Amino acid sequence: MDFTDPMLVLSSWIGQIVDFGLYLLWRFIHIVVTLWYIVSGIFEAIESYAISLGLVQKYSSIDIEKLKCLAVVVDIEAAQDVSKVIELLQWLTTIGVKQVGLFDSQGLLKKSKDMILEMVPRSVLLQETGEEGSSPDGIALEFISSSDNKEAVVKAANILLHKYLKSSHPGNDEGENVFTESHLNEALRVVGENVHVPDLLLVYGPVRSHLGFPAWRLRYTEIVHMGSLRCMRYGSLLKAIHRFTGVRQNYGKSFFLHCYTD
Amino acid sequence: MLSILSTVLTFLALILIPCLFISRRLSVPLISFTNIRRLINVAASQCDEEEESGTSGKKEKQERLPNHVAIILDGNRRWAKKRGQSTEEGHEAGSRKVIKIAMDLFTLGTKTVSLFAFSTENWGRPEDEVKYLMSMFEKVLKSEIPYFQRHEVKVSVIGNRTNISESLLGSIREVEEGTMSYKDRHLIVAIDYSGRFDILQACKNIAKKAKNGLIQVEDIDENLIDKELMTSCSEFPNPDLLIRTSGEQRISNFYLWQSAYTELYFPNVLWPDFDKAEYLKTLTWYQQRERRFGRRV
Repeated sequence: MDFTDPMLVLSSWIGQIVDFGLYLLWRFIHIVVTLWYIVSGIFEAIESYAISLGLVQKYSSIDIEKLKCLAVVVDIEAAQDVSKVIELLQWLTTIGVKQVGLFDSQGLLKKSKDMILEMVPRSVLLQETGEEGSSPDGIALEFISSSDNKEAVVKAANILLHKYLKSSHPGNDEGENVFTESHLNEALRVVGENVHVPDLLLVYGPVRSHLGFPAWRLRYTEIVHMGSLRCMRYGSLLKAIHRFTGVRQNYGKSFFLHCYTD
Repeated sequence: MLSILSTVLTFLALILIPCLFISRRLSVPLISFTNIRRLINVAASQCDEEEESGTSGKKEKQERLPNHVAIILDGNRRWAKKRGQSTEEGHEAGSRKVIKIAMDLFTLGTKTVSLFAFSTENWGRPEDEVKYLMSMFEKVLKSEIPYFQRHEVKVSVIGNRTNISESLLGSIREVEEGTMSYKDRHLIVAIDYSGRFDILQACKNIAKKAKNGLIQVEDIDENLIDKELMTSCSEFPNPDLLIRTSGEQRISNFYLWQSAYTELYFPNVLWPDFDKAEYLKTLTWYQQRERRFGRRV
């Protein structure tokens, strides 16, 4: 009696049943994770409204001195709705933030610079504020796009390259004295770039990515994804800034333990 | 017994089948059965090597898996402190995870895995800790060469080598030479790496080439810098996904140039506790995001 064919059929059925079971399991996992995000999103929205209404004590005072430079990355779709950006900047002014860098990859906010400066009370362009980098009464704004990222580094690198080629002992010099961080910082300033490292970067968009924000400036920046600009909430903004003020960075060393205050 | 079994099966059917239809309506993306099975097999430590070759690579690209995953291995010391253990034990636990997780990622179809093992700023840590870390890197790189060869993993070490001891440099050379012929899986270990240093050394290399007449000054552009960065050793130099464990939300000078459109994921789990379940969550999250690489849709 030949048992091979029925056994093959049986093992094929078993394989298909197992596959289907794994398929259902994967779908189930996706559902669970999606539901988790939906539920946590609802809780975050409720918490955000409570913070906006001043019901949560711990967010009523923020040590804003710790936040010297804030950067905001806006998705290109969101950047087309300048009114939302203006509203965000008005909130930041109310909170007491003194310096904000606004980034979108295509430079749409740069094109709307004049309107934004007009609509945001007590706002000035960062270049006009001098070396302190902040306006005493209002808010200093900087408009950044992708051209300020890699393109700017290329221009700065060219400046250093010319300096290197003109140096008096090119034969022995491997470039150690020309290609340093401080020299590149200086060269970036020459091409008109700001080299201040933002303390906090808020990303508004569907993707948790800095979307090409100037790489040179991102070394120790806290990056927080805020979701869609269309659905931005004052409470979430306050929470992100408050959380930042509780962060202690070791900068790779171990001066003290890293901890949050809340 | 039969009644309990039938109750459980009915309950599962009532939960799972609606979930199936709901997830179809939500258009939740799915990885293939092959990958699900692989993941479950990996969980049971029964990885089937034969399934990974051939056309599976093409299928995985189509199913939105990251080609290059970069990981900042953060949280070893806090993990040890929570357990009343020493910093060294924390790093030891972290190092045991490293190879395991990297292999799990390769099994799931990731082509390149980068690990931020030691940053330039880490030289500021206590001398004992730094010495321990360097000896650990040397031990792991040397002892795992047969493992990397068996699994055909190419290993590259990137970073500034000027401050590294001769014995560690020897281990690095040995592992790189012993695995250089492999192409499908690439493990990049960053030791004494700094994103800013990477950009500067790229500029320096370009300057040397310009000085030697190999390139014209007018040819210098972003693409040339891309080619001179340390990650140019990889077929996928820009990470699709960057994971930093321990809940810290920054990239700390890792892959500054390369991470323009990288998805950033900051799970709260400490590195020694990061396991397959955490990566599954990461992958689910990654698949649900929409990346536009700065373009309008």
